[in-house]
Amino acid sequence: MEHPVNRRWSMRQRDWAVVLWIAFLAAAAGSFVLFGLVNPLDMFGQWVDEYDIGVRLAYGLVFAFLYLLCLLASALTMFMVRTGPARGHVRGKGGRAIPKVKDPSRSNPDLDGENWQ
Amino acid sequence: MSQKQDAGDSLYRKDPKVYPRDVQGRFARLRTLAVLVLLGLYYILPWIDFNGHQSVLFDLPARKFYIFSLTFWPQDFIFLALMLIIAGLSLFFVTAVAGRLWCGYACPQTVWTEVFLWIERLVEGDRPKRIKLDASPWNVNKVLRKTTKQILWISFALWTGFTFVGFFTPIRELGHSVMTLQTGAWETFWLLFYSFATYGNAGILREQVCKYMCPYARFQSAMFDKDTLVIAYDEARGEPRGGRRKTDDPAEKGLGDCIGCTLCVQVCPTGIDIREGLQIECIACAACIDVCDQVMDKMDYKRGLISYTTEHKLSGAKSQVLRPRIFVYLVLLLVLITGVLWSVNNRVLLRADLLRDRNALYRELPGDLVENVYTLKLINMDFKAHNYKIEVVDNKDYVLFVSPELQLESEEVGNFILRVQAPASAGRGSQKIDVRLTTLEEPIIERIVSTRFLLPFK
Repeated sequence: MEHPVNRRWSMRQRDWAVVLWIAFLAAAAGSFVLFGLVNPLDMFGQWVDEYDIGVRLAYGLVFAFLYLLCLLASALTMFMVRTGPARGHVRGKGGRAIPKVKDPSRSNPDLDGENWQ
Repeated sequence: MSQKQDAGDSLYRKDPKVYPRDVQGRFARLRTLAVLVLLGLYYILPWIDFNGHQSVLFDLPARKFYIFSLTFWPQDFIFLALMLIIAGLSLFFVTAVAGRLWCGYACPQTVWTEVFLWIERLVEGDRPKRIKLDASPWNVNKVLRKTTKQILWISFALWTGFTFVGFFTPIRELGHSVMTLQTGAWETFWLLFYSFATYGNAGILREQVCKYMCPYARFQSAMFDKDTLVIAYDEARGEPRGGRRKTDDPAEKGLGDCIGCTLCVQVCPTGIDIREGLQIECIACAACIDVCDQVMDKMDYKRGLISYTTEHKLSGAKSQVLRPRIFVYLVLLLVLITGVLWSVNNRVLLRADLLRDRNALYRELPGDLVENVYTLKLINMDFKAHNYKIEVVDNKDYVLFVSPELQLESEEVGNFILRVQAPASAGRGSQKIDVRLTTLEEPIIERIVSTRFLLPFK
């Protein structure tokens, strides 16, 4: 009997997995640093006194916010890299050739005399 | 490409330096106008005063944003968020209707690059002269021209950085501290950083920013459809291209209307050939339209070989301006703009927060009275000083004492101690009360805050 093998992930699936995971790590690190410096209750206590949100919700909200921010940055980075010039671009593969230019009046004598030069 | 350039595995092809040729015409005039208006606003606004403060000032230390007659406090953050959403939606809307109008006329990258190009042209001359100068060996002329250009560029960049900081620090004070070399660390950093960014982006990187760094350039195509205005070369009319005399009959020579002068390539700030079709690098600046129209005039051909058009129009189909997505963007935009305008207009220029004293629930006083103590935080968001009256809405049982006196200067934040007394017979346990604050001066500003008044359960 054949041993079952997991299907390989597509490039897009891998991209998203990496984005989600790395953003999570970055947000976790960000939360550690932030709450090492700031007491979460100080952040909310001032303006939303009537809803006493408690420490855990404060931690959660800030982490969610940081996660969202990191996700945005990661996803945009992924998008920019994936839609950028293809590999081999430097050797002139892919993309268009550099357009050639010439003196406008060379094959069009009537354009001479204007300030085309 | 030389052997040396091929070596290495850099992600990007080394494109030749782009020397955009000067161009005149309808769209070039439009862009000049956009540059003058936008940069005019940028450089002049901080110097104009309004209502006793700088017309546009983002005062970060005081956490107040002044935009003409409006002052935004940290509590108004929602407006800032909404305005950003409106800006984003407007970009979507404009892109869906008219393509990359933003890129060609209004983007700071385009606007400042244009100015840097003007300076470059002024000092080094137009395209052919610049190419010749760059290729020539270093001599007195080249050193003089290059130095002059750099001095002008750097001065302009520094002025730009100075103005940028002037939106965050009152610009007159900033000017004074710059003159006396007494700017603070952050001011110095941002002044130099923004100057450097201007110099680097508009002077050195230019089209590279649009091609490799700009996210909008990458995803704007998602907002395009076949009815979006794009700049395109009419291939059916232009091809086959070839040189000719004005008196030649193109049909006889088997030629289209494109005379192959390559001027459209030479004026292009991103160095592409629009005749190859719609390309992601095209920032829709319409320089190629202007120059091609001039050539067409010169040759006595009809204008519009390169023009603002749509894919549908090019393929002979009818182009539709009003499409579902336009409606969706427009409706969303109108709803948001109306909402923001309405709520900014109806903002109550008084903010009040009532916090219960946490130490004691209530205090029983002689005469069968119960007292609760609160901290009252008031922000007078108006430009005028005010005196306030405080009362409990629709209930004469409650008597209020405030210290110190309820008055605030313009834009002042104040903390007061509020003592509320009521007869013990007013109820049992927690009672909801609405406290109304009104100005004594006309026009009346009123705000009602709700809180709880605690009474014994006995």
